[in-house]
Amino acid sequence: MSPKPYANPYLAGVLLGLTLLASYLILGAGLGASGGLARAGAFCELALAPARTLASPYFGAWGDQPLRYYLVFMLAGVFGGGLVSALLAGRCVRGVERGARCAPRVRLLLALAGGVISGFASRLANGCTSGQALSGSAVLLTGSLLFLISVFAGGYAAAWFVRRQWRD
Amino acid sequence: MIDTFFSSGTLDTPAAFLASFLIGLAFGVALERAGFGSSKRLAGIFYFRDMAVMKVMFTAVIVAMLGVSYAKAFGWVTTDNVYFLHTLYAAQIVGGLIFGVGFVMGGWCPGTAAVGVASGKIDALLFLAGAVGGSILYNEAYPIMAPLTANDRGVVFGFESLGVSEAAFAFAFTLIAVGCFWGAEVIERRRTGSAGYLNSRFLTVFSAVLVVGAFGLFAARPRQPVAPAATAQESALLTGLQAGADHIGPEDLADRLLGGDASLLPVDIRTPEEFAQFHIRSAVNIPVADLPAALAPHKNRGLIVLYSNGMTHPAQARDSLARLGFGNVYLLTDGLAGFLDACLKPVSLRGEPVPPVQAAKIRAWRAFFLSAPAPAAAPVAAIAAESLSAEVETGWLAQRFGSPNVKIIDLRPQPEYNGGHVPGALSLNIESLRGCVGGLPSMLLPANLLAAHFSLMGLRPEDAIIVIWGDKIQDATLFGMACERLGHRRYAVLRGGFVKWQSEKRPLDTGLPVVTPTSYPAPEAPDAFTVSAREVLAAMSQAGTVILDVRPADYYTGRKRDEARGGHVPGAINRPFSDDVVKAEAYSLLKPTQELAAVYANLIPAKDSPVIIHCRTGHQASQTYFLLTRLLGYTRVRWYDAGWTEWAARSELPVSSETPVPEAAK
Repeated sequence: MSPKPYANPYLAGVLLGLTLLASYLILGAGLGASGGLARAGAFCELALAPARTLASPYFGAWGDQPLRYYLVFMLAGVFGGGLVSALLAGRCVRGVERGARCAPRVRLLLALAGGVISGFASRLANGCTSGQALSGSAVLLTGSLLFLISVFAGGYAAAWFVRRQWRD
Repeated sequence: MIDTFFSSGTLDTPAAFLASFLIGLAFGVALERAGFGSSKRLAGIFYFRDMAVMKVMFTAVIVAMLGVSYAKAFGWVTTDNVYFLHTLYAAQIVGGLIFGVGFVMGGWCPGTAAVGVASGKIDALLFLAGAVGGSILYNEAYPIMAPLTANDRGVVFGFESLGVSEAAFAFAFTLIAVGCFWGAEVIERRRTGSAGYLNSRFLTVFSAVLVVGAFGLFAARPRQPVAPAATAQESALLTGLQAGADHIGPEDLADRLLGGDASLLPVDIRTPEEFAQFHIRSAVNIPVADLPAALAPHKNRGLIVLYSNGMTHPAQARDSLARLGFGNVYLLTDGLAGFLDACLKPVSLRGEPVPPVQAAKIRAWRAFFLSAPAPAAAPVAAIAAESLSAEVETGWLAQRFGSPNVKIIDLRPQPEYNGGHVPGALSLNIESLRGCVGGLPSMLLPANLLAAHFSLMGLRPEDAIIVIWGDKIQDATLFGMACERLGHRRYAVLRGGFVKWQSEKRPLDTGLPVVTPTSYPAPEAPDAFTVSAREVLAAMSQAGTVILDVRPADYYTGRKRDEARGGHVPGAINRPFSDDVVKAEAYSLLKPTQELAAVYANLIPAKDSPVIIHCRTGHQASQTYFLLTRLLGYTRVRWYDAGWTEWAARSELPVSSETPVPEAAK
């Protein structure tokens, strides 16, 4: 089955915006994704070095059950929603996404490195594209708007250096 | 104002988790439908190849912005029921720049990567694993990065920063978004040649709807939120605090504490050393990492006021707590430094003239907050490393109260405790550790019940427990028996008890300490020192064991009795517990150890001779047990808890009213 075309981006944006609005009105907080990943990080570090983690100034504040947190469940929902939607649209295909002239190994290394950098930066900024750029900007928070601008500034500055992974 | 999980403090409940999961589902569907399960499409924006990221994100931002702005105008949403992220310029700008690099390098961001994994993308899985690792890296690098997060501006809106109205800002923002949409379409047509949505009726109508929606905000007037039903005091307080957002001023705090406002809980998050040197009266000392657990009983009850020397750490701690649904955490404006400067600096040292009314207030504050002198600035000893003596002096305790691994138990009657106690002391009625066991009254409770009591009091096996007594040393030593039964050897009795502490004019507090319940482990095997009547009978009939009856002499001889039978266990010798105590000034002390050693050397042949101690209920006997085992070094001492109460009631057990000659004196 050939994949269905993507939705109209503006209508997908409306759906996303209404989801965000629901999050604010029901939960009283915006969307978030990196928070769930950071909790997973705390969970892993707790499993490896419980005393050190509990005594650490950042993860320590989350106690010994870091996964009991709403953003962990939200992230699980994102995965579930994405899975259902991808299956229905015939877009669930195993593989490494890359340019035709880029070795999979290079692409995977860049993805891993990008993950480490993003994970680190999202803790510094207390949020990622979901929590800060999307949720924070939508309620016009000064810091979140600056984060949004900075993300694209950093992205465009670095884009030239990693362009080969998409070369066809 | 609507109730959100955040405002009702239930963001950490299963219901909120379910709601979060459902919202996450919609979030995931929206991202996948937009095509964000593809890193190639996501990265496209950085090469002007595919502008979908910008179209989807900007649309979502404007739609949610319009929704939230109208909700604010209707009074449904305020800063009270919605958690708004704080603005920290350095952290968000530097974090954003770094994040952008990771975004373009990895081709994913955290949310889209979750959708990417759901779409089977292996690169997305690696990105997520990397992000988890990056979070751990941040935790480890936190001490280096923390300065960037130092300047927390609180909740700051863009329109406030620019000094324009919210409606004007939202309207301009919408116009920029619409302009970007059209610009993106132009770029895409130039790059790909396909028409896309440029000049389509859809995009024209869509743009018009957004602009009209945003224009409507000028007509919608923000309404004052209706405060939820609250007590007059609370609502007055809230109104006062709203002016300073989430801060409470030093003078306000000082006035409230001086006025005995019990709803306030000042929490000092500095080190125990700093806390011991000086802290705001009635404050408790809690390390940042322990805050969520320690403050759980105070969640959305009363007002928690965090302070440190400055503002940074309390602001971070408040943020974490707010995320956990704590809606009642406030910061002390300008921290302890500001408090000292504003409230406690003597009038004579102030540069500016102070009006008489203010000067009187300052004098009252100084009298109140400086009346409990800070204990000597000796460093808090690492109690865990040092061996704890059986009795500790008041001066020793004065240097250590507030230390996290020193727990203080006050056994005086509750009204006396309420009237003033050693700061941080827990009140305990010693009788709550005794009960009817197997028909025997006043028995020390079994280990599992004692462990449950210890757990409720927040005691941990590694704690040094200091026991404070009022007029009976044996109250403290009976608590010691409970410790012994649990195998907790790190306990000590305060020499001279509370009366000595008080007579030395040492600090007192009337607040209740914050306790985090623990789970104190109960030993599985019964203790080795408690004996039954059967064992006493066996010991009686074979020579070698010294049975020590510590009741007053008249009861030992049988001249007085409260039971069916008077007298004593045949062969038992009498050493009244009260003979071991001496009255010094206002308080009692155990007699000097050397004097006691000589007395007991005459009664017990050797330090390793078997000894059984009893009285009527086990209470007085605990004092003799304590001094024999903890002060004099006897090694085979056992305790007949049921004592004369049981012995007299069981007619088959023999009773004597003769006075035997102590073995050692033969």
